[in-house]
Amino acid sequence: MSEQKPPHFTNREARKRSVSNSTESQMPANHSSKTPSNQHAFKGRQRISLRAGLAVMGGRAAGALSRRLHLGGGTSIAGMVAQRLYPDIVGHLSTQLAHGSVLVTGTNGKTTTSGLIAAILNDAGLRVWRNREGSNLMQGVAGALVIRARPDGNLRRAGQAISIFEVDEAVMPQAVQILPPRAAIFTNLFRDQLDRFGEVETISMRWHQAIDLLPENATLVLNADDPGTAHLSDFFHGQVVFFGIDDSSFDLANEGLAIESHQVIDTRTCPHCGGEYVYSIQYYSHLGHYICSQCRRERPKADVRAVKIVAESIDRLRIQIETRTQQGEIVIPLAGFYNVYNALAAIATSQALGINWEPIVSGIEQFKPAFGRGERVHVEGRTLRLLLAKNPTGFNEVLRTLFSDGIRRYVLFVLNDNTADGQDISWIWDVDFERTTHHLATLTVAGTRAFDLALRLKHAGLEQEAMTIVASAPLRALKVAHESKVRNTRQHRPARNKEAIRNTHMIELDDSITNHRTTKTYGISHALDTAIRQTPSGETLFVIPTYTGLLEIHRELEHRGLTPRYWEERGP
Amino acid sequence: MNDDLLPHITLTLGHLYPDQLNLYGDRGNILTLQRRCQFRGIELRVVELGIGDALAPDEYDMLFIGGGQDKEQAPVAQDLLDIKSIGLWAAIEDDIPVLAVCGGYQLLAHYYRPADGPDMRGLGVFDAWTIHKGAQEPRCTGDIAINWNGNTLVGFENHGGRTYLGTAKPLGKVLKGHGNNSEDHTEGAVYRNSFGTYMHGSLLPKNPHFADHFIALALARTYGRRDDPFTFLTPLDDTLEWEAHAFILERLGLYNAAADALRTYTDVGTILHIPKNQVSLRVNETL
Repeated sequence: MSEQKPPHFTNREARKRSVSNSTESQMPANHSSKTPSNQHAFKGRQRISLRAGLAVMGGRAAGALSRRLHLGGGTSIAGMVAQRLYPDIVGHLSTQLAHGSVLVTGTNGKTTTSGLIAAILNDAGLRVWRNREGSNLMQGVAGALVIRARPDGNLRRAGQAISIFEVDEAVMPQAVQILPPRAAIFTNLFRDQLDRFGEVETISMRWHQAIDLLPENATLVLNADDPGTAHLSDFFHGQVVFFGIDDSSFDLANEGLAIESHQVIDTRTCPHCGGEYVYSIQYYSHLGHYICSQCRRERPKADVRAVKIVAESIDRLRIQIETRTQQGEIVIPLAGFYNVYNALAAIATSQALGINWEPIVSGIEQFKPAFGRGERVHVEGRTLRLLLAKNPTGFNEVLRTLFSDGIRRYVLFVLNDNTADGQDISWIWDVDFERTTHHLATLTVAGTRAFDLALRLKHAGLEQEAMTIVASAPLRALKVAHESKVRNTRQHRPARNKEAIRNTHMIELDDSITNHRTTKTYGISHALDTAIRQTPSGETLFVIPTYTGLLEIHRELEHRGLTPRYWEERGP
Repeated sequence: MNDDLLPHITLTLGHLYPDQLNLYGDRGNILTLQRRCQFRGIELRVVELGIGDALAPDEYDMLFIGGGQDKEQAPVAQDLLDIKSIGLWAAIEDDIPVLAVCGGYQLLAHYYRPADGPDMRGLGVFDAWTIHKGAQEPRCTGDIAINWNGNTLVGFENHGGRTYLGTAKPLGKVLKGHGNNSEDHTEGAVYRNSFGTYMHGSLLPKNPHFADHFIALALARTYGRRDDPFTFLTPLDDTLEWEAHAFILERLGLYNAAADALRTYTDVGTILHIPKNQVSLRVNETL
């Protein structure tokens, strides 16, 4: 094992302490006005509980073990064990947070939105706790709390603390029940992982349940432009804040591109009467200014709105914001029009929590994108930019960001169909790859379903010779490699086999079809090398992976010492 | 091939309910038909038929119906019975090739019985019916491979309802996966030149032989008595198609079938680029 050892727990403790001390000491009188004023029911309540203590110790031991065995960050496992030992551990710990918690859900933009909220609250002088991206099921939420708890079952330094959890769409009802939030944010609803959720409608039903369980003193933050989230306000009697875009210059009709008619629409009809929605402005997919053609219910007026958006460069969006109390300009340092929505959601939430304008501006403008959301990695003189794309609308928007200014791009696509990606990849046929055809400098296609994606690109009009396909190791080869490895190393360390096979990227294959031996190269490591080699020095390589593709790329970059291990990444 | 010598051949595809039934990458099926025709100098026009549009059977050479959400299937079922039933029946009885995937397949059977609520009537083209036993019954989800006339078809299935065949002939036998109902190893249904199937993923891109069969059926019906349709189905470079096809077979553990599939594209001998035994009897009769 060549990679660096996990840092000692005490070091991280010390670092965390020094950071938290500095934020506390940076909180003079003028900051106190920025901290939330409506603390009502969220006074930190600490009480000794033997059972909670046991759960915390068990969970943390499991997490430490998982890290020691290099299985991962260990937050999910910590949460799972703790929940097993004390099912109400989340409820027990969350009531101790002085400023309560915020839940963010939706198909796209969960991570960036919760990241932006965290950055803003951090600038406002709060101590922000988050669950790691990807650990957005209940055990991930539980884990995020457990690793910050003491063995007596109480949270460490719960004063000034607020937790922001991104929650998987489907577990929102449980999350709301166990962890009554101060604010619940629904970013948008698109088709995603149909093999897991069944249909888009299933999620909509879960969200109705979640809203029913939401306490009335909570604030509901909804995307006014998405009819799939906006109608949720009908089920809630408390305060609702809508955010939306009021800039008609980004209407799809203005782009004048015929290919834009290939939008994937996931909310087509009004939930009240079944009438079709008609759009006066359509930004993308079913997002825009809509009205039902039958019952005339229309998009609610946005309370937090972007009235003017100027794209200054690929990742600089200057937006003019108007809220009920504030007007101002903010520069979003992120790539992609969809990040306007993420920023608006963060502004709406922060204002609902009583945060002043200055930390909102500074939080957003100094925001560093999370891994895979457009951040830069420097590799051998090239810049790597990773843009996660996990469903048709997300993918379409990433392509729109990259391929609308006529610049030829160097691109690596990674399409996987593991459980976390969704095993059904039919959705690639709904993605507008047609728009990439004349704007690609070089293209590498990788992942478990590289051939499917290559096939899709071929149908989009790309020449087969124009792409380099680097498939994952075919199962045939894996089987052979596995069998020989098992045979050779059974006595020694069978646990290492999996890793060894995963890292095998040169496989000699006795090709029964063409009857000659060929050596083929496979795997993400080789794909990355190929793509980097094809990108001239000084240029930018855009890596567009699905979810597990992103994790593989990350693992690969870790091995090369280019990024820290993801659980060592320090959020804001 | 000299273009001047070829007669100008046009086919028209009617795409039913593209706005409502579009959940599982159905655009892939349309694109594949379009591309495979285009590569052979055949012009394929696609006409979208939405709710309220009449279906004139003599205007189309092939028809396609995709799958959608349950919520959006009710108005579609209504429209199918009220407005399109006579035209669609006439088209089907006139041997127009029809491909119905997932929800479209269910709509062409007798009825769909949801866990709660009234039955949804279908067109009854296939002597089959679908029963949804409710949320407690797991959905049929995952990769699927079937044996279709001695060849494999691969796809992905994702359906809550179970379809049971009466006298309808199945499209194929399930090798791995659920198929119609995960009980009797049947998948899909065939009536004349109409194919109903649960397989998406999309179906046609990874099954070029089936796509060609579908095109050949349309050509034979429309131009059959004047020209030999197979002269137009020149072999294409289907390397990627068969690699993707074989990948699914390998994943399902069907290694021999995968090797057969990979061998297909290196087999230069066949004019059709597909093994001979899958040229359906129906086409031969027409010739």
